[in-house]
This record gives sequence, C-alpha cells and structure tokens, in this order.
Amino acid sequence: MARVVEAPASSAASSFRRRPWVRRAGPLVLLVVLVALPLMLPEGANDTLARIGVFAVAVLGLNVVMGYTGQVSLGQIFFLGLGAYVTAYGVTNDWNIVLVFVLACLVPAVVGLVVALAAARLGGLAIAMVTIALPIVGVPLAKRLSDYTGGSQGLSARFTDAPEGTGLYDDQWQLYLVFLIGGTVFLLTRNLVRGRYGRAFAIVKGNENVASSMGISPYRYKVLAFTIASLIGGVSGFLYMVVVQYTSPETMSFGHSIELLVAMVIGGAASIVGSILGGAFYVVVPDLTNAIDPSLTALLQGALLLVVLFLLPGGLASLPRALTRGRRRSRAGRGPAAPPTTPSSTTGSGTAAEEPETERQGHA
Amino acid sequence: MAAELTLQDVSLQFGGIKVLQEVGFVVEPGQIFGLVGPNGAGKTSLFNCISGHYRPTSGTVRIDGAEVQGARPATLAGHGLARTFQHPALQLHATVLENVLLGAHSRLPGGPLEWALRLPRARRAERELRAEALELLERNGLGWAAHLPADELSHGLHKGVELCRALLMKPKLLLLDEPAAGLPHAEVETLIATVRRLREEDDITVVIVEHHMGLIAALTDRVVVLDHGAKLMEGTAAQAQSDPRVIEAYIGKDAADDAA
Repeated sequence: MARVVEAPASSAASSFRRRPWVRRAGPLVLLVVLVALPLMLPEGANDTLARIGVFAVAVLGLNVVMGYTGQVSLGQIFFLGLGAYVTAYGVTNDWNIVLVFVLACLVPAVVGLVVALAAARLGGLAIAMVTIALPIVGVPLAKRLSDYTGGSQGLSARFTDAPEGTGLYDDQWQLYLVFLIGGTVFLLTRNLVRGRYGRAFAIVKGNENVASSMGISPYRYKVLAFTIASLIGGVSGFLYMVVVQYTSPETMSFGHSIELLVAMVIGGAASIVGSILGGAFYVVVPDLTNAIDPSLTALLQGALLLVVLFLLPGGLASLPRALTRGRRRSRAGRGPAAPPTTPSSTTGSGTAAEEPETERQGHA
Repeated sequence: MAAELTLQDVSLQFGGIKVLQEVGFVVEPGQIFGLVGPNGAGKTSLFNCISGHYRPTSGTVRIDGAEVQGARPATLAGHGLARTFQHPALQLHATVLENVLLGAHSRLPGGPLEWALRLPRARRAERELRAEALELLERNGLGWAAHLPADELSHGLHKGVELCRALLMKPKLLLLDEPAAGLPHAEVETLIATVRRLREEDDITVVIVEHHMGLIAALTDRVVVLDHGAKLMEGTAAQAQSDPRVIEAYIGKDAADDAA
C-alpha cells in the first residue's frame, strides 16, 4: 500500500521528473541550452524560434482565461495588437524603453479589465460574443486612428538592434530578449496556475456552485483571469515588436485570433508546455504547409486540427500521459487501487507532503 | 466557535409556485440538526436559501445574529458556512489532495502577484495547509488516496473527500445535503461515526438534509419535518418518527390509518 501512496498514478515521465537530481538540474540544463542556442543556430532558425516565443506567450495568455478558467475568448489577438501598437507608438516617440514595456503591459490589462467587468456579468456564450467584437472593432479602429497607428500602412519601429560591445548579431539579441521576457512570463504564470489561484480558476471552470460555496466568487475570478490574459497578450505584443518590428491592422485580424485558439487546443489546453507547443504550431505549421502547396495551407491546417482532436483531445501536451495510460491499461487488467477495508490505514505521508503538484490538464 | 443559525418566516416562491412557506427554526450552537421530509418537501430549497444559492422571497436567515439572506455564497463562506452537495462535485482529474485543498482557499493569504512570485508567505501557507489537508484525509481514512486522481475513487469515497474539503474551510456551520444518498450500509455507519466525531472534536454546528431515517435518528439532536414547503413539526427524531402527521406525510393518509 505504501508504494501506491508514494507513486500514485505514476507515469514513467512524471516519476522521472520527480527524482531530486532531475528537479534540481533540470532548470539549470534548460538555462544553459537557452543561453547557448542563439549563439549556435543560424539566423533563420533564431528568427523562427523568436517568433515561436512571441506566439507561445500569446497562447499562454489565452490559456489562462480559456484553458484554466474555462471562459471562451476569441479576442486574444486584439491584446497582442494593442501591445504592439503601444510599443510602436512609444518607440517612435522616443519614450524610455522600460516605460514603453510597462505601458505595453498595462494598457491591454486595463482594457481587458474593463471589458471583463462588463462581459463576465453575462456568463456563458456571451463572453465569447463580446470577445469576438474586440478584433472586429480593433482592425477598423487601427485604420481610422491613423495619427497614432499609421493607418493601413501600419507602424514600424527598430529598437532591438544588438547593442555595441555585446558582439551579438541582431537576431541573437532579439532571441535573448524573447527568452528573458517570455521566460519570465512563463515562470510567473506557471507559479500562478498552481496553488491557490490555479485551484480557484479550475473550480470556476469546473463548477461555479462549488466555487462560490468555497468562498470563490466566479465573477471576480473570471475578471481576474481575463485581465491577466490581456496583460500577457500585451507582453506578447511587445515581443512581437521586438522580433517583427512592424505592426499593421492586419496583425490583430479575427482570423489570427482563431488561429491562436486552434494553436492553444492543439498544444494542449490548461498546460504550460502546451502553450509552447501551441506557439510552435502557430509559427511552424504555416511555414511547412506553404512549402508543400500554398493554396492548400488552410486545408492542411484544418486536417491537422481534426487529427489531433480525434487522437489526442487533450492536445499534444497530453501525449506522454495518453501513452502511459494506454500502457498501464494494457499491462494491468486490474482496476484502480481498491480502498483498504480498515479506515485507519497509516501509510506514511511525510514524503508525500513534499511532492510537487502535477500539472493540471484540461478537459473542457 | 460553533455558530447559531436562526431562520424566521422564510418563504420562497418561483413564479406562482410556493416552494417554502414561512419556515422558521433555531439551531443552537454545537447542535446536529436534521431537516427531513418526503421528496419535494422543499428541503434542498431551504438548504439553498441558507447557503446563498437561492434568495428567499421573504423572511430572515441569521448566522450568529447577522442577517445573511440574499448574500452571495462566496460571502457566506466568510461567515463560517460550508456545505456539501447532494451529488459530489469534485475535480475528477485533479488529485484527491488538490480537491481537498480547494477548501483552504479563503484561509490562504496573498494576491496573484504574491503567488506568481512564490513569495515565502504564500509558500509557507500552502505547505502548512497541505499538511493539514493530508492529516484531515488521514483522520477520515482517506490518507491512502491523497495522491490518486479523484476519478479513480468510488461515489461513497467522493462524499468523504467532499466532506474533507468542506472541513478544511474550518467552518462554524456545516450543511450536509443528503450525505447518505447512494451509500451502501457499511459506509453509512462510517459516516455516522465521522459526524459524531466532528461534534466531539471540532466545535461545529451541523445541519443535515436526509431521507435516511436511520442516520437521522442516530445523529440528530433535533429535527424539523417539512411537507409541501411548510414546517410540519419540530422535535427529536424519535418524536418525529412516531408523529402521525409525519407518517401520513411520508406514506399517505390511508396507509397511515391502516398502520394505526
């Protein structure tokens, strides 16, 4: 019985991750790889990686409100666009870059907060409807406000040339910026979606009655999740300007918003790793399908979406879990662990208290 | 500190349908109080009026003297109220421990930024409540299941997990909605023992809605019988079981006459 408690529902992958030396050395190895990678890869690969980072952050934001909290948002790209425009405007007017970054986070967050305060009252599909309006309104608005946005021409801003003395190429410098800022956002979000707030978001998604009887106001937590998603969207907009250095009304078109959502589902809803995979999907797959036949791009993407949905409803991030579950099922004909007959089973819980929470997967 | 619950003339109406009619009673601090009555008598509706999921059309609900009718459920948790549901609503893919920890929500300090940064205060509080949740599971015979996904457990065990989740809120007033529904006999015995232990070890007032007369008789200090949304009688479980009006409400007038 003691073994059951120590290694519950253990997949090979998760028990590997729980070994102490892996937990300590893992982040260090990751850090070394992230530092070394930009120096070793060719320019094209660095650029692709940087763009993956940008959209991984955007998908992560979407995941906070939709994957973890279960509120359908179809407007995430609007906050990316807003962050990009704020950045472009600030840089063009020679504002301090730190101030520009703060504004690129805060402006989308405040807009998101205001939208959510109204939309979350409505509940259900109404939130989705309101969020559809954001990119639909955003595109013509960006065209009309040409004094600030450059109209249909858009704005370009170069502020991420590698500083003299670093000896880096521009693409390397930009990738470092994406790793630093994007990595920080991922780390903070990962911490947030575990523990107190992660559980609250999950129960708002799962059952609002239970949430409220636990002292968790569904309304307040929906607004919170939406605001955080908008803030993260703003960060991804800033990173977009770091890498792409150009934004136009097309940046925040509704089609892109849907593609972000598809990327989130394929990567894995309510999953941190899934957000990165989603970002990779968003960037890499159009490149690949374009190489096969540009006229078939949309068709191939759609087919890929269907394949993933049918084979892996939890997204690519759920692949290891699906594999171990399948293996467990085929190996053991025995059912799940049976309860002990005596109520006083005194299995050791000392080690169990130290165990990290496993990442919560999404099942909408 | 166990709480006192006072209901006065609570009525609830959906359109033209009178679900509750001027129901009133007092639950003393530390009592185990039963709400019984045939199907459709309005027990669960009354429950929802207390827990804030329904807003009574008229009348007052007081917890320790403070009027709380119409307050949102999330606010009532702050008044020390916790409840379980007729159909346990757990996060099936999360572990049992994570499910129980949800009950700690209001006891954990810190805003989103503090948790995103994993500041020491948040980490310490999480660690302490994790240990407390494990101990609670252990005490209720569920320690072995703490790290299993909830969907690998039976219905009866779900009820136990849900009870632990409510207890981790450190409630002063606990509402149990049909805790014995769907449980095999042996598990009802365990449940009775658990609720008894609650009264002895924790200072807590318990209100139980239940069909299972055996459980009501074994546990409650006092019961209120509801029929057609109105209070039929109030007294001990033994008085209720022998009251002709109660027998009539349960099995019909003719059968009651036959039985007499």
